[in-house]
Amino acid sequence: MTKSMFAAALLAGAAALSIGAAGDARAQEKVLRYGMATKDVGRLDPHITATTPDKALLQMIFSGLVRFKPGTISPELIEPDLAEKWTASADGKEWTFNLRKGVKCHDGNELTSADVVYSLKRAGDSKTSSFSSDYKDFDKVEAPDASTVKITLKNPIPSLLGMVSNLHGGNIVCMKAAEAAGENFKLKPVGTGPFKFQEYKPQQSVTLVANADYFRGKPKIDRIEYKFIESDASRDLAFSAGELDLVYGAQNQTWVDRTKQVKGAVVAVIEPGELSAIYLNTNHEILKDIRVRKAIAHAIDRKAMVAFKGASTSREAKSIVPIGYLGYSEDVPLLPFDLEKSKALLKEAGHPNGFTLKVIHTNLSGMLPTMEVWQAMLKKVGINLQIDVVEHATFHAQIRKDLSPIVHYAAARFPVADIYLTQFYHGRSIVNTPTAVTNFTHCNDADAEIDAARVETDVNKAKALWKTAQVKLMEKVCAVPSHEQLQVFGYKDNLVFGYDLKGSLSLGPMITEQTYLK
Amino acid sequence: MLRFLIKRLLFAVPTLLAVLTVVFVVARIMPGDPAQVIMGDQASAEAIQALRARLGLDRPLWVQYFEFMGGALTGNWGSSMVTGRAVLGEVLNVLPFTIELTFVSVLVGAIIGVPLGVWSALHRNDTIDYVTRIGSLLGLSFPAFVMAIMLLLVFAIQLRWLPVISSGGDGSLADRAKHLVLPAANLGIIMAAYITRVTRSSMLEVLGEDYIRTAHAKGVPSMAVVWRHSLRNALIPVVTVVGLYLGILIGNSVLTEIVFNRPGLGKLIVGALTQRDYTMLQGLMVVYTFIIVVTNLLTDLTYGFIDPRVKYQ
Repeated sequence: MTKSMFAAALLAGAAALSIGAAGDARAQEKVLRYGMATKDVGRLDPHITATTPDKALLQMIFSGLVRFKPGTISPELIEPDLAEKWTASADGKEWTFNLRKGVKCHDGNELTSADVVYSLKRAGDSKTSSFSSDYKDFDKVEAPDASTVKITLKNPIPSLLGMVSNLHGGNIVCMKAAEAAGENFKLKPVGTGPFKFQEYKPQQSVTLVANADYFRGKPKIDRIEYKFIESDASRDLAFSAGELDLVYGAQNQTWVDRTKQVKGAVVAVIEPGELSAIYLNTNHEILKDIRVRKAIAHAIDRKAMVAFKGASTSREAKSIVPIGYLGYSEDVPLLPFDLEKSKALLKEAGHPNGFTLKVIHTNLSGMLPTMEVWQAMLKKVGINLQIDVVEHATFHAQIRKDLSPIVHYAAARFPVADIYLTQFYHGRSIVNTPTAVTNFTHCNDADAEIDAARVETDVNKAKALWKTAQVKLMEKVCAVPSHEQLQVFGYKDNLVFGYDLKGSLSLGPMITEQTYLK
Repeated sequence: MLRFLIKRLLFAVPTLLAVLTVVFVVARIMPGDPAQVIMGDQASAEAIQALRARLGLDRPLWVQYFEFMGGALTGNWGSSMVTGRAVLGEVLNVLPFTIELTFVSVLVGAIIGVPLGVWSALHRNDTIDYVTRIGSLLGLSFPAFVMAIMLLLVFAIQLRWLPVISSGGDGSLADRAKHLVLPAANLGIIMAAYITRVTRSSMLEVLGEDYIRTAHAKGVPSMAVVWRHSLRNALIPVVTVVGLYLGILIGNSVLTEIVFNRPGLGKLIVGALTQRDYTMLQGLMVVYTFIIVVTNLLTDLTYGFIDPRVKYQ
C-alpha cells in the first residue's frame, strides 16, 4: 500500500466514523413530528395571520407580556410571561408591566421594554397588523426604563391582559430583527418563545429548533418538524404508520373512534368550541318578520345536530356567545325545538306552506354538511333552502356583500363576550359598511350594552351588561345558535405535554419547554 | 431546423400574451379578495381596504394590467400576495419535484404501456388482448386519488416498505427515490393505460399495411417486423399522446401531490386559486404556458427522430 493510498484509506475511515457519529447524534435528537391540515403556511407574522395552521406554529416562537396558562383558555388563569408582574391604576387607564430580566430574542439580542413598545405599536398599526382595531383604545405605550412598559388607555379595558397575552397582536416581536427584516419578517419570524424558526420548505414543512436560551429553561424537545399535510386521509395514514407524533384531527366522531383504534394513540378533544350559528338578516323581506325567525329557531333540533356531529366532539349551543367565555350567560331566551310551534308561527306570518330562500354557502367539507342538515330540518316545516354552493373565498366575499339572507358561520374568538358580541352583533360591524366585520344580522339593538361593558371596570357589572345584550339579541332572534365544535387532535402516547391539555386559544396544542417524548 | 425552432418560439409569444391577459382578467372577475384571505375573518373592512391599497389592488385595472405585463416580460414576477415570498423563488422551489414526478411517471407509463400495447395488438381478440384492454380501461377510469390511497394502504401501511409522506427526508438520492416510488407508480399506471390503448390501436393499423405483409413474405423475422417495421411507424400517435399528456400531467398531478404530500406546481396553482393570490397565479401561468410550448416543440422534434420523412419547415 502506497502512502497516498494509506492516507486515502485513513480519510475514508475518518469520514465514515464522522458520518456514523452524526447519525448517532441525529438518532438521539428528540424530534416531534407534527402533522397540520394545510397546503402551506401563510405569512409567519403573529400580527398578521389569523389562520389555525399559522397560529398553532407561531405560539411556539413568540411570547406575550402575559400568557394563558398552557392547556387552558380561561382569561382568569392568565399568568406572567415576559412580564414578571404588573399593576393597574384605580381608574384602569394606566397599566405598568415589569419585564423579566435577561430574556433573549432568538437573534441573541436582549429583550427590553423598547421591543415591547415597538411590538405593541406595530400591533396597533393597520399597516402592519390585522388586529389593529383591537388596540384603538391604546393612547400611549411607553418605556420609562429598560425593564418597564407603561400602557395608557383612552378608556379602561377590563380585558386588557388578553390583548397583551400570547395571542395575535399580544405576541411580542423583537424590534431589531423586525426592523432589519422589514417586509421579510414574515419569512423569518424572531421572538422569544421556546422554539426558534429554522427552516421553511415550501409545501412541505417548517422546522423549529429548541431555544437553548429560553427564559423558562431549554426545551426537552430538540426539534419540531411541522409538516403540512392537506389531505385528511394522508394525515391519518401517516399517523397510523408512525410517521407523525401529533396530528390535527377531523372534528367528527368517526375520526375520534377510528383514531382511538390506532396502536398507542391518544385523542384529545380540546377547547375552545367553535360556535356554529345561523345568522338571519333581519332586514330581509321575509326574515324581517320576527315570527318567521322564531319559526326557523323552533325548527332547529340541536340534539339531532350533536348526534350527527358526534357526542364527544360537539355540544349543544346555549347562547349566541360560546360556552365558557367571560360574560357568557345561559339565562337567555333560547327557543326550544318544536315543529308544531314553528309551523304555527309560519302560518301566522302568512306562510302556511312555507317559503323558498336562496342562500350562499361554502363548499368546505367541514361546513357544507352542517348547512345541509339545517336544510333538512327546515324542510320539515316547509322552508325550502336553496343552497348555492361556492368555493370558500367566494363565500367569504359574497356574505360580506350581504348577498345571503342566511349565513352559517362557525367561529371561536378571544374568550370574552365583548369580542363575539362586537364582531357579530354590533352596529359598527354590519356587513357592507366601511367598518364591517361579520354582523350578517343587521341587529344593533345591544350596541349600548356592548359599548358600556367594554369599558366597565367592575367585572360583575360588565357581566350583567353582556347578559342583557345576549337576552336582547336572542329575544329578537338575530341568530339561532346551534352547536359548538371542539378541536380534535391525535397524538402518540409517548408524547407528554407537561401540562393538562384542556384547551388552546391558538387552536393547536402548545409545545412548551416541559413537553417531551418518552 | 433552426428556423423552425425560432419560428415556433416566436409563435409562442402571442400565445403567452393572450394567456396572461386571460388569466389577469379572469383572476379579477372571480369573486374573492386576496386581502380578505391574508387578513383573515376577524379583520374589519377598514383594515382590509388598507391592505388592498398596500397591495395596489385599489388602482385602476389597466394600471395593474400594464404593470403586470411589464413585470412578466422583464422577468419581474413580484411576490406572492398571500405569503409575501418571491413568485419565481416559489416556482423554482417546487419545479424540480414536478419535473421529477412527471418524467418518471411518463417513463413508467411508456415502459409498461408500449410493450403491453404491442403485445395486445399482436394477440388481437385473444384472452391476452381482452385482459389488457379491460386492464387499461380500469386504469383510465380509476380516479387517481383512490388509487393513491390504495397504494398507500398496501405499500405504506400493510407492508411498510415505503413512506406515506413523500417529501422531507435528508434529500439524498436514495431518499428521493424512496419518496418518488408511489407517486410515480400512481401516475405511471394511468399513463400506461393511455399508452397501451394508443399503441394497440396504432399497431393494429400498421400491422394491416401492405409493407408489413411484404416484409413477412420476404422472410423478415417476426420480431424485426414487429419492433423495427411496425412499432416505429406506430409510434407517432403514441408520442403525440405522451406529449399532450405530459402537459396535462404537470398541472393536473395535484391530487397525487396532495395525497402523497409532495410539493409541486399543481398544488401551487390550486393554492393560488383558492387564496386569490393574483401575482402567484399569473407567474404560474407564465411557467405553465412555457412548459406547454416547450413540450409541444419537443413532441414535434421527436417526430423527426422517429420518422425521417418528417420535414421541419
